[in-house]
Amino acid sequence: MFQSIAGKANLEKADLEPALKALKDRLMTKNVAEEIAEKLCESVAVSLEGKKLGSFTRISSTAAMEEALVRILTPRRSIDILRDVHVAKEQHKPYVVVFVGVNGVGKSTNLAKVAYWLQQHDINVMMAACDTFRSGAVEQLHPAIVAKEAIQEAARNGSDVVLVDTAGRMQDNEPLMRALSKLIYVNSPDLVLFVGEALVGNDAVDQLSKFNQKLADLSPSASPRLIDGILLTKFDTIDDKVGAALSMVYISGSPVMFVGCGQSYTDLKKLNVKSIVKTLLK
Amino acid sequence: MVLAELGGSISRALQQMSNATIIDEKVLNDCLNEITRALLQSDVQFKLVRDMQTNIKKIVNLDDLAAGHNKRKIIQQAIFNELCKMLDPGKPSFTPKKAKPSVVMFVGLQGSGKTTTCTKYAYYHQKKGWKPALVCADTFRAGAFDQLKQNATKAKIPFYGSYMESDPVKIAVEGVERFKKESCDLIIVDTSGRHKQEVALFEEMRQVSEATNPDLVIFVMDSSIGQAAFDQAQAFKQSVAVGAVIVTKMDGHAKGGGALSAVAATKSPVIFIGTGEHMDEFEVFDVKPFVSRLLGMGDLSGFMDK
Ligand SMILES: Nc1nc2c(ncn2[C@@H]2O[C@H](COP(=O)(O)OP(=O)(O)OP(=O)(O)O)[C@@H](O)[C@H]2O)c(=O)[nH]1
Ligand SMILES: Nc1nc2c(ncn2[C@@H]2O[C@H](COP(=O)(O)OP(=O)(O)OP(=O)(O)O)[C@@H](O)[C@H]2O)c(=O)[nH]1
Ligand SMILES: [Mg+2]
Ligand SMILES: [Mg+2]
Repeated sequence: MFQSIAGKANLEKADLEPALKALKDRLMTKNVAEEIAEKLCESVAVSLEGKKLGSFTRISSTAAMEEALVRILTPRRSIDILRDVHVAKEQHKPYVVVFVGVNGVGKSTNLAKVAYWLQQHDINVMMAACDTFRSGAVEQLHPAIVAKEAIQEAARNGSDVVLVDTAGRMQDNEPLMRALSKLIYVNSPDLVLFVGEALVGNDAVDQLSKFNQKLADLSPSASPRLIDGILLTKFDTIDDKVGAALSMVYISGSPVMFVGCGQSYTDLKKLNVKSIVKTLLK
Repeated sequence: MVLAELGGSISRALQQMSNATIIDEKVLNDCLNEITRALLQSDVQFKLVRDMQTNIKKIVNLDDLAAGHNKRKIIQQAIFNELCKMLDPGKPSFTPKKAKPSVVMFVGLQGSGKTTTCTKYAYYHQKKGWKPALVCADTFRAGAFDQLKQNATKAKIPFYGSYMESDPVKIAVEGVERFKKESCDLIIVDTSGRHKQEVALFEEMRQVSEATNPDLVIFVMDSSIGQAAFDQAQAFKQSVAVGAVIVTKMDGHAKGGGALSAVAATKSPVIFIGTGEHMDEFEVFDVKPFVSRLLGMGDLSGFMDK
């Protein structure tokens, strides 16, 4: 990719431009959001500008990029659910996870997968359906109260974990986002898990930034809870267009904790950062 | 307005070009780059955008344009035509006729909004005096029949489905037969969500289509879909005779460029858009006035290639 600029002593911005444009295009064809692809290329440019070619040829272009991508995809804060569940258990309180996200991304399906995964680790799970819109749900109930009662019940019957499902909502829908902030405020969960689908394009950036922004702005609390982690769904539908993972992590700084890769309860994996980076740069 | 942001960016790019005193290669390139960027930010497939850029450049060919030609107008028209071409496959979709029984099958990716849109489509026609009916041929997803039943009951639309039967083909055939007998004129078949990587799921869809012989297959897509839109839409088209597209969740923030990719991939027009979770949040979509509004050029129908 950088061949055209071999033979120069110092790299200048203009020298890098064609190569960076090719890189940006490649990232976008892999479904990285435009804004994120642009920012990434800028930071690569900054890290390479003014470098002596000697050192530049040593760190081959892809190695530099690979490093940058791995860095982005590797969470600053790591979350170990199993450990945290055990800590909560020692304190005799259920560990509470709230699943949030826009409509139809796979919250309910993947909540069931996470429940199954936890059960495989001998953890007692209780599920709270606060998705009062789709399929047979009871519309009159107040979701925040339903969750509260579920958590109380879990504490009584000794469940280790409560998984709280919520209805899908658009990030711009103020009343629904306010209700979600309230649910989170009232129940102070241990983990707010954002569910996003790998199919999503540029909207990934808006979804995550607005969920965080609205959870902050609309919360009754002075120190509101934001998104802690990401569950990336429908990974089986995108072939090599894996860019949404990068967009989501880049914009939120939250780690991808699980990857949904099918419709059955065993289709749950951990993110393979290396293979994502390889695919992005292929 | 739907796709408004994309429209705004394109109009701005054109406006900037209009402000330039002389239109040369650089001005044209700047304008096209702006438009390209806006399209990519709206999730139009990368290759489509590239092709569009090349086409416009070919049509406009600045060297060939004699002095005195209105370059701005020629460029504007080329852009307008290319956008229309992307959104408009050239022939209208099959339109069901009142009192003449039609079968319409809904297909699409998981969670794209098929079940919700089936009800909206039925409700829209019911208000116009049709006799619609809903058939739930989704035996895969837990709660699928309950969901359709609940929607249908709310809209007072007859429905058919089964909790026991696991063969979607059988249910679809039975449902369609039943409602034909009951002289419904719009029989809508809802199917499971699926994706091209699961061959068995596509084969099942093909069988439902073969057995019910729909007059129209509608591909339902989520407006927030990114670069995978084209490949998925194309795969659906290759398995069943997709004839129209409905884009859902346009009440969100997504700019809906994936719709353009789906139109190109299926060679079928967008006929409706979904703008909310509720039954009446549904709008007819008409491409030409839409594109001209998009470009802020008023009605340009007289301006187009025939
Ligand atoms: N292929 C594939 N499909 C998935 C995956 N996860 C969920 N789905 C499907 O996506 C569709 C929507 O899933 P749901 O779990 O109902 O989504 P939701 O976010 O709860 O939807 P709402 O509550 O309506 O907002 C269903 O058909 C699921 O089977 C996945 O990882 N891969
Ligand atoms: N905001 C909004 N939500 C929508 C719209 N259309 C559908 N939805 C929501 O999207 C989610 C999925 O809709 P469904 O109709 O169940 O999708 P589906 O394609 O039938 O899903 P599967 O059968 O699981 O593949 C639900 O939460 C719907 O309420 C829309 O236009 N706007
Ligand atoms: Mg749900
Ligand atoms: Mg459905």
